[in-house]
Amino acid sequence: MNNTPRSIDGEAVTTRLAMRMEDSLQAFAVRAATFIGELDVPYSEEFDGHDFAATHIVAYVGNEPAGAVRVRWFQSFAMPERLAVIQRFRGHNIGQLLLERCRALAESRGCNTLYTQSLPADVKYWEKQGWRRLVAEEASPGPKRIVAMVRAVDPNKPLPEMAAEEAIVLRREAQLDAAGLPVGTVTN
Amino acid sequence: MNAQKTTVPNLAPVVTIKLAATSDEMLQCFALRAAVFMGEQQCPYDEEFDGNDYTATHIIMYVDGEPAGTMRLRWFQSFCKFERCVVLRRFRGLGIHHEINAWCKEFARRKGYTKAYIHLQKRHLAMMEKEGFRRVDDRTFNFSDHEYYAIYCELKPPEDAVTMTTMPMVVNRPEDRLHEEGVLEKSASRGATNPHVSTERRPN
Repeated sequence: MNNTPRSIDGEAVTTRLAMRMEDSLQAFAVRAATFIGELDVPYSEEFDGHDFAATHIVAYVGNEPAGAVRVRWFQSFAMPERLAVIQRFRGHNIGQLLLERCRALAESRGCNTLYTQSLPADVKYWEKQGWRRLVAEEASPGPKRIVAMVRAVDPNKPLPEMAAEEAIVLRREAQLDAAGLPVGTVTN
Repeated sequence: MNAQKTTVPNLAPVVTIKLAATSDEMLQCFALRAAVFMGEQQCPYDEEFDGNDYTATHIIMYVDGEPAGTMRLRWFQSFCKFERCVVLRRFRGLGIHHEINAWCKEFARRKGYTKAYIHLQKRHLAMMEKEGFRRVDDRTFNFSDHEYYAIYCELKPPEDAVTMTTMPMVVNRPEDRLHEEGVLEKSASRGATNPHVSTERRPN
């Protein structure tokens, strides 16, 4: 399924790790355009305090920042999230290119598992990119706001089935306070 | 008739406007501009972030603590240019762009400027005329897919506009709080010990 784009209208499509201030700013601008501008997500939810403990990857069409994804690193998995592609560059598999870059980066770090939390409407997209639901069957009925998804870093080494409760695999992450600890855990 | 007094809870949003003074506040300004200009108006990144951001003054506006609007100010010899004015979509219709304009006018006045100048998308002319702006001349020009007029507004400099004869330490204060004692005035209590004198230069 390697139909990732190499060029759009003669402009090369590339990805790179954000290593300079300007690269990070480009990643933030792409996310702001998409999540705040298009989807009306509040600033404080989009920029949630994890940006300076994460790796950012930016996709370019020529020199133009066209997409971005953030990867956070945990002991047992890498977590790509905040995947965004600027509206006019959609339909060219730039998201796939960014996720492949995440996968390769995780592989180079010896990581076996990719994990993400998807909106129900986006589950099909992630499945097309080779991801699957972490918990095959939804444990409880009713509308779900997020779905845990996983993918093996090496497709030849599929992940074992998980038997965890949804309440565990979707545990909500705490907001951090100024000390880097979950809000409310420090009382003095 | 027995008029009953009811207490209406104050539901008006709290609007705060300040100079963007930290990297986080600058990032908020940039994110709001990306949301509106790149996200809604399809402006390319290089045109939105045009190289003038680090020669400019950025203003950030909060509604109930949430970043809601921004403005960029650039300083020329004879006028201050107001640009990149943004109110996030979900905060529109409250008229809060008037507040940010008024804040910026006051800010420029206090620095001694007598003219505010804007490149205005044509569709907003009537709104800005109500705020005292008028066209510089009849030229129209276009960039980033919109048609623009140059408009300006006279600002009456206040008595206490900063000049070279203003108290030196007032000039050093944070520019949006020229009326308050600044951190450098507090440092004056340490006296002039000239600590560089005892610092030996490391031999090469």
